Amino acid sequence: MTARRLHPLAEDYLRRLRRAGSDLAPERLRELLLEIEGYLADAIPPGASDDEALEALERLGPPGDVLEAERPGSATPDTDRRGTREWAAVILLPLGGFVFGVGWIIGLVLLWSSRLWTVRDKLIGTLIIPGGLATAVMVALLGAVGTAETQECGGVATQLNATTGAVIKRGSMHCTTTGAPSAATTAFHIALAVALLLGPILSAVYLARRAGRPASLTLRGAPLVGGGVWSP
Amino acid sequence: MERRAEAISQLRRGVLEFCVLALLREGERYSFDLVRALGDVEELVTSEGTLYPLLGRLRREGLVDSRWRESASGPPRRYYRITHAGDAALETFTHQWGRFRDSVDMLMNLGATT
Repeated sequence: MTARRLHPLAEDYLRRLRRAGSDLAPERLRELLLEIEGYLADAIPPGASDDEALEALERLGPPGDVLEAERPGSATPDTDRRGTREWAAVILLPLGGFVFGVGWIIGLVLLWSSRLWTVRDKLIGTLIIPGGLATAVMVALLGAVGTAETQECGGVATQLNATTGAVIKRGSMHCTTTGAPSAATTAFHIALAVALLLGPILSAVYLARRAGRPASLTLRGAPLVGGGVWSP
Repeated sequence: MERRAEAISQLRRGVLEFCVLALLREGERYSFDLVRALGDVEELVTSEGTLYPLLGRLRREGLVDSRWRESASGPPRRYYRITHAGDAALETFTHQWGRFRDSVDMLMNLGATT
């Protein structure tokens, strides 16, 4: 494809670039090398002196600079920006409540101090459900105490003749049970339990996904002009 | 001093992609011409090679698209042109930049006259 050979210094530059960029995705490196090769072919005319070649290479910049601009993390909008803070918040909000409740509060601080979530996301993370899964456990324990059935029994003992042991009067025993929940109450408790368990989990999943969305989401999927040989 | 130099560098990086889009507004351009045109502008680019990764990002974001053409004198040449999304982004930036520049100029001038 190359109609003529590049200047030896240009060839050397491409070799250094290829070697230093071996960690890049092969397709990215291939495209970068092809474009830089085109640059060198045009910037260094046939028969150029070493000085002219060096001047062109100086304008191009060292391979390290070019690769630094290519590597993810150098303001690449589609990289995952979720850091330790975001993951810690996503874990602490549902589970931190079990650590004397303090873990949830730390999660809350991390949630509100991150710049990856909008105020709406932060409100969702805070309100669904305060305390996280620990709240579900607390409510379940309190509920068990509050709705426990109580059974009171009473009656009279059987009277026996002290000497013969014959039954004088048969005793009786009767029990009354109070506090047994109605069907509606049971249904409400089940719904509450499901909401309290699912709420913190779904909320954490939602936050993890929102923090992971690309910054330039609105630009994605924009219609490309033309088709055919033009490609993004 | 280091931090201030970095701030200027970031400012430069931030506006560079819109300068690329502005150069493409007139029509498609060969990447070498595009890169050289930006390199010729004072204070804008230190290493012209770093513009290729930027062009790659603009492509992936759908702000520009490109096509390869065979060249009689060397390796194939990549041509770039701006997309509708690129046009829209450039228009928004042009508006914001005007206001930003005026505000900064106003403050700079205030400082100069007192």
